[in-house]
Parts: sequence; C-alpha cells; structure tokens
Amino acid sequence: MKKPALTLAILLMLVALVLLLSVRYGSETLSFADLHRALQPADSHYFALVEYRLPRILLALLVGAALALSGVLVQGVIGNPLASPEILGVNHAAGLMSIGALMLFPGLSVMWLPLLAFIGALLAFALLRLAAGNSAPLRLALLGIALTALYASITDYLMLSHPLEINQALMWLTGSLWGRGWAFVYVALPWLLLLLPLSLLLCRPLDLLALGEEQATTLGINVRHAQQLILLLALALAAISVALCGPLSFIGLLAPHLTRRLVGGRHHWLIPGAMLIGALLLLLADLLARTLHPPLELPAGVLTAIIGAPYFFWLLMRTR
Amino acid sequence: MFTRFICVLLSVLLPGFSIAQAISVQDSNGDFTLERPPGRVVVLELSFVDALAAAGVSPIGVADDNDPKRILPAVRDHLKPWQSVGTRAQPALETIAALKPDLIIADSARHAGIYRQLSSIAPTLMLKSRNETYEQDLQSAAVIGKVLGKNTEMQQRLALHRQRIQQFASQLPKGLKVVFGTSREQQFNLHSRGSYTGSVLTALGMAVSAPINQAALSSISLEQLLAINPDWLIVAHYRPQSIVRDWQQDPLWQMLTAAQNNQVAVVDSNSWARMRGIFAAEHIASDLVAILYHRPVPPAQ
Amino acid sequence: MMSGRPLIAWGGPLALLAGIFWLSLFSWSPVPIGSWQAISALLPGKVSVLSQALVLNLRLPRSLVAILLGASLAVAGCLLQTLTRNPLASPSLLGINAGASLAMVVTSAFDPSWVAGYSIALLAAMGGGLSWGVVMLLGRGWDTAGDRSRLILGGVAVSALCAALTRATLLLAEDHAWGIFHWLAGGIAHVRWREFWQLLPFSILLLPLAWLFASRLNLLQLSDDSARTLGIRLGQLRLLVNLVVVLLVGSCVSVAGPVAFLGLLVPHMARAWIGNDLRLMLPIGMLFGAVLMLLADLLARAVAFPAELPAGAMLALIGAPCFIWLVRRRT
Repeated sequence: MKKPALTLAILLMLVALVLLLSVRYGSETLSFADLHRALQPADSHYFALVEYRLPRILLALLVGAALALSGVLVQGVIGNPLASPEILGVNHAAGLMSIGALMLFPGLSVMWLPLLAFIGALLAFALLRLAAGNSAPLRLALLGIALTALYASITDYLMLSHPLEINQALMWLTGSLWGRGWAFVYVALPWLLLLLPLSLLLCRPLDLLALGEEQATTLGINVRHAQQLILLLALALAAISVALCGPLSFIGLLAPHLTRRLVGGRHHWLIPGAMLIGALLLLLADLLARTLHPPLELPAGVLTAIIGAPYFFWLLMRTR
Repeated sequence: MFTRFICVLLSVLLPGFSIAQAISVQDSNGDFTLERPPGRVVVLELSFVDALAAAGVSPIGVADDNDPKRILPAVRDHLKPWQSVGTRAQPALETIAALKPDLIIADSARHAGIYRQLSSIAPTLMLKSRNETYEQDLQSAAVIGKVLGKNTEMQQRLALHRQRIQQFASQLPKGLKVVFGTSREQQFNLHSRGSYTGSVLTALGMAVSAPINQAALSSISLEQLLAINPDWLIVAHYRPQSIVRDWQQDPLWQMLTAAQNNQVAVVDSNSWARMRGIFAAEHIASDLVAILYHRPVPPAQ
Repeated sequence: MMSGRPLIAWGGPLALLAGIFWLSLFSWSPVPIGSWQAISALLPGKVSVLSQALVLNLRLPRSLVAILLGASLAVAGCLLQTLTRNPLASPSLLGINAGASLAMVVTSAFDPSWVAGYSIALLAAMGGGLSWGVVMLLGRGWDTAGDRSRLILGGVAVSALCAALTRATLLLAEDHAWGIFHWLAGGIAHVRWREFWQLLPFSILLLPLAWLFASRLNLLQLSDDSARTLGIRLGQLRLLVNLVVVLLVGSCVSVAGPVAFLGLLVPHMARAWIGNDLRLMLPIGMLFGAVLMLLADLLARAVAFPAELPAGAMLALIGAPCFIWLVRRRT
C-alpha cells in the first residue's frame, strides 16, 4: 500500500486541479486573463465568476467533504461497507418535509426549503432513535431503511395527489448545485468549519469500534455512547448537506469505500482522505453537469450516480 | 432675472421629467420601479414573449427550452431573433448575465429560488405565469406593457384583443360542453375551468368542467371521460404514442356522445396547451371556430 | 395458525377474495354501476348498457390482472425469502423492481413503440435479473450463514443506483416527468384485456411450476447441508427458482410498473396463517396477495374519488408501517 501521506498529497493536488478547471469551464470558457479581470465588479464576466461559479465550487467542496465524512462515520458505526448516510433516512425525510410544505402551502417561498429540510432530517433521527431504542447498529440500519421506505411512500403519495407542483418537486428532489449562491455558502461555512475538524477527535473511538464491540469495550470506551455520538455527528453533516443541495446520493457510499482502498482503515488517514475524495467527486460531478451540454445543466445528483455506477461494477469484479 | 427664473423653472421641471420617465408597477413581490424604459429585455417564460410581441418590443434573450419553434409563428413574426438562455425550469444564469439586460421578467413561482441572483444581474420583474388563468394573463400583459414604457400601445392591443374575442364568441353556440385535454403515453390531462385553456374556452362561451379536487389540470381515466360525456372532445397529443389513440381502439369509445357524432378534434399541443397570451388566445379562438364548424384546422408551422 | 381447521383456513381467504373481487367490479366508479349489474354483466347475454360495458371491458380485466399480479408477486416473495433464508428479502428490496423499471425506462426512452407485448416483459425480466444478480454478488446472498443485513444493504444500494440512473434517463431523454413518475409508482388503472393476456401465460406457467418445487424448497429452508444429503441438486434448484422469480417479477413490472411490499409482507402473513410448509404457504400466499392487491386498487380509487391514485402508492402507504413493525419484531 502506498504511503498514506503521499496519497493525501496527490488527492489535494487533484482537488486543486479540478477546482481550477471548474473556475475556467462552464457555459463559456474563461481564459486566465478573463479570470483576472473578472474579479472587478464592472467586468462583463464578474457575474459568471464571482456570483455564479465561485459559490458553487466552494459549496461543492464543503458539501462533498461533509457527505463523505458522514459516510465514514456511518460505516464506522454500522460496521458494514455498504452502509451510507441515506439509510439513516435523512435524505428522504428532508425530502418529505420540503415536498410536504410545497404541496400543502403552495404559496410558500422557496427560501424556506433548506430550513425545512434540516428540520426534517432532525425529526428523522428522532424517529429512528424512538423506533430503535438502544439496539445494535445493524438493527438500526434495517429500521432506518424501513423508515426511509415510509418517508418515500408518503412523499410519493403527496406528489401524485398534487400533480401541478411535481416538476418543481422533482427538481429539488434530485440534488443539485444550480442556483446556489453566496447565501448558501455563508450558511454552510460556520457549521461545517465547526463539525469537520471536530470529527478528527473521533478517530480513536472509530478505530476501536472497527475492532469489534467486545474488543472496544475492553479497551475502555463506552461503545453505545460512542455510537450515538458518532451517529449524531453523521446526521448533522448529512442534514446540512441535504438542506443546502438537496439529496445527493452515492458520495456518502463511494467516498469512504474508495478511500479505504487507497489509504487503509486507520481513521486519521481515512477521514481527511475521504473528505478530499468527497469534495473531488462532487466538484467533478458539478463540472460535468455544467459542461456536458451547455447551456443545459444536468443536476449534479444525477452525475454522482453516473460516476458511481462504473465504480460499483469495478467493486463487483474485485469481490469475485 | 429672467435667466434666473428659467434656471429655477428648469431645476424644478427637469427632475420632474426624469421622475416622469421612471416607471412604477406592481408585481408579485409588491412595488417595482425602473428608472427608464428598458432597452434590453430577457424573459424567462413563453407567455411573457407573447406580451412583448403585443407591445412591439423584441427580447434579446428568451428561456425557450432550446426550441424556438415552441413560440407561436404569429408571435415570432413580430420579433427579431433572440438568444436562447436555456430551459424555463433552469435558465442559464451565465448566459443571461453575458447579455447585459436592463430588465428580466421571470415567473414568480418557478424562479423564486434564483430571484436574488437574477436581481444582481438586472432589475427583475416577477409575475405569475405558470398555472395562470386567461384573465390573470391579460393583467400580466398590461403590467408588462406599462413596465416597457409602452402602456398606450398595450392598452390598444388589449382593446383590439377583447373585440376579436367578442367576434369569435358571437360566432359560436353558447353553453356547449367541451372537454380539452392533453394526451401523453400513459395519461390524459383534463384542462378544467381553472386552467389557462379552460378559462379561454369559458370566455368564448363554452361550458368547461370544474376543477377536480381543486386541481386545474387532472389526469382522468376513460371511465371519468365517459361519466363527463362532453358534446365535443378536443385533444392535443404530446406524443405520437398517446393514450387517447389507444382509447379510440377500445369498444367503450363508441359509447361517448362525442365519438358517435364525430365531434372529436385534434389540435396542436403547442399553441393550445403550452403557449399562453394574447396571440395564443386568439389562435385558440380561431381554431375553435374552425372546429365547431367542421372546417379543417390550419396546421401550425 | 390455521393448519388444523382447513375449512376456515382455505374458505376464509377464498370468501374474502370473492367478496372483494365483486366489490371491485362496481365500486367507486365515475359512471354509476349497480351491484347487481356487475354480476349480470358477467352472465352470457347482450350487453346494452354503458355500465355493463364498463364492467366487461374495464373492471373485469383490471380485477383479474390484480389477482394475477398479487399472486405472482406474493409467490416471488416467498421464493426469495426461502432462497436467501432472509425474512426481509423481497423483489423491491433486492433491487429486482428497480432493475426492471430501469430496463423499461431506457427502452421507452429510445423507442416508445416497444413498450407493449411480450418482448417488453422479457426485457424487464432481464433488467430485473441483472440488478438482482449484482445485489446477490455484492451482498453475498449465497452465503446464508453470514450477515443477513449485508444482502439488504446491497439491495438498497443497487436500487438507489437504478433509481438514479432511471431519473438520469428521464432527464436526458425528454420531459416525461409526470407520466413516468406515475408509472413508477406502480398501478393497474390503464389495464385492459391486452395486459391480461400479456400476463396470463407467465402466471399460468410459473405459479404451478413454483408449487411443484414446494417440497424440495421446504428442505432448502433447513440448511444447505441437510438439503444436499437428502439428494437435492442445490445448484440446479437455485438457478431454476431464481429464473422463476425473475420472470414473475419482470412480467408483473412490464404490466403494472414496480409494485412494492407485496413480496415482502404476504409471505409473513401466509406463514402466520398456515405455517411454514411451502406446499400450503404458496397457495395461501397467492390468495392473500390477490386480496391485498385488489384492496389496494379499491382504496386507490376511493381515496381521491373521482380521481385515481396509483395502486402501488396505496400499497406503499399501507406496507411501509408494516415493514417497520416487521423489522422491529424480526431482528
């Protein structure tokens, strides 16, 4: 296995590269001279660079990292590499909350959606804790899936009985970075700057949990306590991400998986590595979304799935 | 003394002139003011294009879903070529910014989420377009005419429009039960009184179904159509493989009064369902007259 | 457990089925149909009235398809749960529904005229089989001694993937949004005699076939080794049963879209009613499945009358809480 530090350095460079590409490319290509001038408010490319691309890129970095981290935490607790934040029910509950509000209060301004999504995610966790009590992580996972099915069915019911709003609802439900401006970045920044470093404190408990519950207890950590705390953190990260960008799938599943192959299972390498890969994935997805077929923009959520599919099959080959 | 008097007079009157140039209207957000009539206008809905054409102004950018043919030929004839800014659901903000508009007109429901970003490009007027009725569309057209500084032209055009609709309506029998719907592969959407086309047909004197479950458009089954049993059935096919064509093979189809009396007509989906506005309403009216008199409906180009 | 009282055990569900079937023929119709007219329409004789024509051309095929659908999906669920020895296995959770839907959406995006007939049923079956194969491999479904939830997690992941790819196809192909979304909820509102004849061959062939294997499948419920020592060729049996499941689900999805929860819940209902013997469980499952599907279709008409919701959405609303209860009890 390569030295983890080297891998992280390479990942960092890749992120910087894709960042540069994202700033340059879009519905029109900006040369370096253009970019330099575009920082002046009076310039014709000012909007494209400063109001449109930069906030999106920053948001992609933050949310990609947050989702990947959430995935690492969930996989650390559930102990299964196929687990992901989606099974906590966060995405679907957030979707249900916002779609419910859109349908039942048609005059509601779209600006309320992020807050409602966040509340929905929190309620999902509360419900999961209520249903699962103090049970083993696997049972928690299964209950999460069952609750997700419930939220999805209610959401579908609402959408089917209010067909006029369906296009708007589907737009939001796909997860994308379109139309996300600086307001979104200002909301994300304080929370994520707080939570992301906080997660590094959990490296040791996570490593111990990976050894198995009995081992971990004998090595001195309160297993249930640690699991609850870690899940709470995972939830907060996933909830913020869903509130800002809608439900983006696969990053929470793929990033930890891929990182594990590259740097191994020690969390003080895994966590930064996963964040970098998550940021890279979302940045790449958004770049492709904007440049594949301009001026048409695909939702980033669709592209994360398209990028995810080949990885899944590659994984399959390796499992044989 | 006299020159000083002139100076004072001018200094009082000149601001008055510039204020007189400033335009103030009400949009869905409340008060909206423009310093001077806009020269470069970008619109993000097809009904706004119709209104601009009625006022005699050409937009420089339109969110036309990447298909200029969607806009009625009658409307296109009044306009110079424009730059497409993408789909109505997700207009390309960078392209809009590159056009350097003086005014953007957007849909109050669809584009509420990007209002802030649009306003940072240019003053943005938010009007209801999607799910609007015929009367609401005429009101929006009046607002657009005023904001473009073409109030008199728009009022004249609206008066002409009302006259034309009156003429069409007088040629038609009153109170006919008409069902208009759009047909896709899996479903038939009834346009009730609360929809745009439904309200146009009502204004022409037809009896159009009331909204089902408070929805202006609803997907209805063959059973429901049989229960409504209209005098005339007008269908717009969105796809070649459409459910109404399947229904027509069904033995139950012959139980429809409209089918028995050969009173089923096919119309262009674009002009009847997608476009809204003054020209669109007049197009629907003239088509309806042709249909009810069993004349062939002229094809849309 | 009703195994000791065959009259109630079998008579009960049959009576229920007959009752709901009759109800489905005339209830909640926008054109009023009398309860007696529903029966008289079925008797030989000239059909003169609109309501009788409706019963014969709309209601009857729809109810019959509901019965076939319910029975097929229930049996598919029983087989899957036996095969994987996992009480939570079902066509929707293991990604078969999602794969079949993806296959249909992709073909209809390229060429809508394909979306009919037997070819599409087979195509849907292939799509379902593919996704299911991926799930089994990812989730180590063959390894029944191992971690049961790995299979479910694999199924969830693959279903999510198929759903995302389906949505991608929709966005790239055209703006069908509402129509396909409606179809993806699963329902039989559009069903006529053509769909019935499309589904019938599959059900008529596969359901009795499944039942013929019931005794061998009973042994599969124990463990691989016991089954092997009793002379069963495991590999062959597994392959055959998988084929049956995939064909059943594929044919159902091609007619009614992906309907969830039937395959999950009905096996548990059947087991609770009549015990673990598959020779009895399968037929009872068919009855319960048919009843449940008819009921869901009925409710789908009733809830938003005179408009209709897809039956699959109603099933999901009923099934999801049951699923939660099931997980709590069984794990």
